[in-house]
Amino acid sequence: MTSDAMNLGATGATVEDDGKITHRDLVKSALGVGSLGMEFSWTYYKQMNIAFCLMIANMLKKIYRDDPEGYKAALERHLAFFNITVQFAPFVGGVAISMEERVARGEIDPESVNDVKAALMGPLSGIGDSIFLATIRVIAAAVGIALCQAGNPFGPIAFLLIYNVPGFWLRVWGVQKGYDLGVDFLAKTQENGLMTKVMTAVSIVGVMVVGAMSVDMFWASIPIEIGVGENVQTVQDILDGIMPGMLGMAAFWLYYWLLSKKISPSWLIVGSMLLGVVGVYFGFLA
Amino acid sequence: MIVQAVLVGLIGALGCLDYQLGTLYMFRPIVMCPLVGLALGDLQTGLAVGASLELLFMGSISIGAYVPPNETIGGVLACAFAISLGEGTEAAIALAMPIAVLSLAIGNLLQPIWPFFVDKADAFAKKGDLRGIYALHWGIGLWGCVEYFLLCGGAFLLGVDAVQGILDWIPSFILDGFGVAANLLPAMGFAMLGRLVITKKLVPFYFLGFLLCSYMGVPVLGVAILAIIIGIEKFDLINMNTGAQMALEGDDDDDF
Repeated sequence: MTSDAMNLGATGATVEDDGKITHRDLVKSALGVGSLGMEFSWTYYKQMNIAFCLMIANMLKKIYRDDPEGYKAALERHLAFFNITVQFAPFVGGVAISMEERVARGEIDPESVNDVKAALMGPLSGIGDSIFLATIRVIAAAVGIALCQAGNPFGPIAFLLIYNVPGFWLRVWGVQKGYDLGVDFLAKTQENGLMTKVMTAVSIVGVMVVGAMSVDMFWASIPIEIGVGENVQTVQDILDGIMPGMLGMAAFWLYYWLLSKKISPSWLIVGSMLLGVVGVYFGFLA
Repeated sequence: MIVQAVLVGLIGALGCLDYQLGTLYMFRPIVMCPLVGLALGDLQTGLAVGASLELLFMGSISIGAYVPPNETIGGVLACAFAISLGEGTEAAIALAMPIAVLSLAIGNLLQPIWPFFVDKADAFAKKGDLRGIYALHWGIGLWGCVEYFLLCGGAFLLGVDAVQGILDWIPSFILDGFGVAANLLPAMGFAMLGRLVITKKLVPFYFLGFLLCSYMGVPVLGVAILAIIIGIEKFDLINMNTGAQMALEGDDDDDF
């Protein structure tokens, strides 16, 4: 938690239950059943809609405490299709709540809340997946796998800590940030191009990590022997002498190319298994 | 045997419950397999299998419209079979992917009924009945846990002999071939991640990361930290105007 967020929280927090949303309300929602369970009631149909509604329901109750019809309409509104990188959900919840306060005061159109939510899903999931799935998760797995391979039971724990500490930090920080920025957030960040810059900077990290992981991710080898007597070498030794990890990189780009040809991952899995069996049978893969 | 099956089932259910705990990624093989190892009295094999299967399923994450094979059930069962049959990681690797693909298919069988329940939520909202919406949330989620429990526990209970039979019957070059495929497939996982982040402009950074690791032996964490510095420097993210400043600090910190 940064000091900024604390201060903002304090200024936003006025006394008792006068319908004002406090920092405490926001943090409670970010760590509540809905926020943490974004994927628990996930369905293909409306994905995270139920969990999103639950995440902000208590704050809606507060905002519409004198307007039961408004409360019911708001609950229904937030049961619309929703999907996002889970760690960003509280941020969007904060934005939605700051907008709902304005809806309750009759300042903005209720429809606009879901429009903004929908507009946030794409860009934030793009950033979120790059940060959490393609970068932090891969680093966490690399550290965890290395420990596990050494037989160290701390491996899984290290994996969980590295992946989740930033995630929980983002949930708590994000909900307040979303609330403070409200709907102006999109306008502001698009104006100064911040979103694009951060997105590119984050992608650089993701791409470099994927590049680095390419070296060790490919465990198969080519045992074909070349040369005679003392000088016998496998193709693998030669390739490793030129550039360690070269085969992994080649495989990476081959799969990358096949995926860009819209070949489904399921077929690639089947194909890889066939290749593996054929390769072992004829002795060119091990 | 029954006790072991129940334990294996509970570990699978815990993997599904993870979606209520904040999607901690506890459901991944790297966490599930050591737990199975602990339950079946062979933590070391659990750790080794967990490491191998985590690599195998590296790309098994939901990106875009792709729903990946179920790495949780695949991981739990493959590890449980490998340990109880006294086999090593090779057998676990050969078993994991087919089980995961099958589990995905079984899980999908129930998907058509969910819209009915999800639409019930709207009816509860119309009445202002928040408890009803909570009930749906827990109902849908806990059903998933029961499903995982039954699949993991049931398959383990019924399957040990059958799996032993299958493993004996399959020629060894096929098992070895599956093992080789398992070592190729992480490349596909990374290619899927690559499709998510690589643009033409960023291709040089892929090679920078690769070469740092390949020739200079920089570990992944070191490459990541270097990348963060490059990102901050390239876009002058430290000297942004104040309005943007705060939004920025967050994103930078997240990378660590």
